Amino acid sequence: MLTLGIDIGSTTAKCAVLEDGRDFRAVSLRDSGVGTDGPQAAFEGVLAELGVSRRDIDCVCATGYGRAAWQDADLRASELTCHCLGGVYVFPGLRTLIDIGGQDAKVISIDAGGSMAEFVMNDKCAAGTGRFLDVMAALLRCPVDSFAEAAARSKSPASISNTCTVFAESEVISQLAAGAAVEDVIAGVCRSVATRVGSLARRLDMREPVCMSGGVARNAAVREALSEYLQVPVLFDERAQLFGAMGAAIYAAKRKSKE
Amino acid sequence: MEVREILDVFRAADPAALKEKYLAEGRKIVLTAPVYTPEEIIHSMGLVPMGVWGADVLLKRSKRYFPAFICSVVQSIVELGMRGTYDGASAIVIPSLCDSLKVVGQNWKYAVPGIPFIPMTYPQNRASEAGRAFTKAGYLRVIRDLEAATGAKFSAQALADSIKIYNEHNALMRRFGREAGKYLSAADRSAVFKSAFFMPKEEHAALVKKLLAALEGEKPLSGPSVVTTGILADSPAILAKLDELGLRIAADDVAAESRQYRTDAPETGDPLDALAAKFAGMGCCSVLLDPEKRRADLIVDSVRETGASGVLALQTEFCDPEEFDYVIIKKACAAAGIPLLAVEVDRQMANFGQAETMLEAFSERLG
Repeated sequence: MLTLGIDIGSTTAKCAVLEDGRDFRAVSLRDSGVGTDGPQAAFEGVLAELGVSRRDIDCVCATGYGRAAWQDADLRASELTCHCLGGVYVFPGLRTLIDIGGQDAKVISIDAGGSMAEFVMNDKCAAGTGRFLDVMAALLRCPVDSFAEAAARSKSPASISNTCTVFAESEVISQLAAGAAVEDVIAGVCRSVATRVGSLARRLDMREPVCMSGGVARNAAVREALSEYLQVPVLFDERAQLFGAMGAAIYAAKRKSKE
Repeated sequence: MEVREILDVFRAADPAALKEKYLAEGRKIVLTAPVYTPEEIIHSMGLVPMGVWGADVLLKRSKRYFPAFICSVVQSIVELGMRGTYDGASAIVIPSLCDSLKVVGQNWKYAVPGIPFIPMTYPQNRASEAGRAFTKAGYLRVIRDLEAATGAKFSAQALADSIKIYNEHNALMRRFGREAGKYLSAADRSAVFKSAFFMPKEEHAALVKKLLAALEGEKPLSGPSVVTTGILADSPAILAKLDELGLRIAADDVAAESRQYRTDAPETGDPLDALAAKFAGMGCCSVLLDPEKRRADLIVDSVRETGASGVLALQTEFCDPEEFDYVIIKKACAAAGIPLLAVEVDRQMANFGQAETMLEAFSERLG
């Protein structure tokens, strides 16, 4: 049995194909999300990699911001449920998952049985999300992918106290005008995201092990700042950005096996 | 009448059309603002009380009277007043039950000068003898102002009669609140509660009675259910999502719904004292002082009694009283092992994507 999960986010589209509810056979990721050709490209990409067609897939589950718009889905599930399933698949025994995506942040508390027990999401603003990092990257003229490397060179991280993206932008400009080094400002920006999302995590009964998922998980500076803020190790896997798609494939497999 | 036919009457209770109908009949309308106003007094004087809880409208003109961080319910009431939506009403009664409501009364006088503002000032300590006397003094002020604004006259006997009508309606609404979750969608349930603010009480009560009788032959719905709590639960998008997910509302602790009907006024003695006694006996509400915060226990008990799967807190943005209570409710639910989801709502919501995702995840969690 092959099940396919497609996670259509605000900035990326991801797919994962699972065989018999156990082993992932192929994954794909495109850097364009809802409203673009990214989801179709990711979908076709994962099928091509596996050498199969849509007819060979027993069940497709869509998740993410664009899940409702994906017409070729047999099922739909929230990204919270899917990230939880993906996280537990990669880290068995996982109790807390912190997902920072392109436009929102979520913290999921997971029970001992691997099911979602509770969750919180960010407020309706860009603070503490990938969008916040994108805005800062444009301002600092440094790609987000280089943030971790730049932050590692920081000797004295700048203090970015504003959580509002617009105000933080002004604060960054003020820091640069005052002569702060770019790497110190980048480290400060990463800490700002970690503080914002970390405070969200503290609203829950946070238990270890803790892991990160979503695109921002690739940023080691944010991970380290989050670990420091929460005073717990934050686990990371190279597939962190795919947890949603993987979880959707697992969700589909579970539903199919119940039929 | 069939259930659907009756529900269609509730759903068709359009406040703008009803307002025009009452005015065409030569009746005088008095607007009643959240959260509790002495509707019985207005009714007893032959006036038509119509609830104003704002609407999902873009705030433009009212912004000159408010800072950004204030409840959009009161802002939208003033917005509608300034737009002329309430034109023709003879007065508005605004109680002093939260900081925002205190502000809106003063702003109303300048923002909507054509509709006289009548304050209803309640005491914090409502149960003591002094508290009841204070409440009664507030009612006397309302009566005086209503007489001046409308020319209608107050009589104790008419109030006693109105109290009976309202008590009967309260009992029916309490029964409806218990039965609705078994048979009705969230949107249909909401329509019945909402229409009670616009339809004459006698008419609404008769229709609710018919509905309850018709529901007896209906097949109960299956699937998980929740107990809702908050100030308002009338967002069409949220209700549609609940219905799409098959999440029933088993019971509610919503200010614009069941909280209105929990307490009756005694039907003996001086009717104004009886109304003050009613207010003294009210509780389990964020805007009514309760040092013991029994509201959290009431919610937990509602979940247990109805067999609901969880609690859905619809938090009106910038509503301080509700935010203070939320912490206590959250702890009580956690202690009782009851899943709880808080979704922030306001009268300005245009994008429901995040709220829908949260509701979907909560539904998946409840199974």
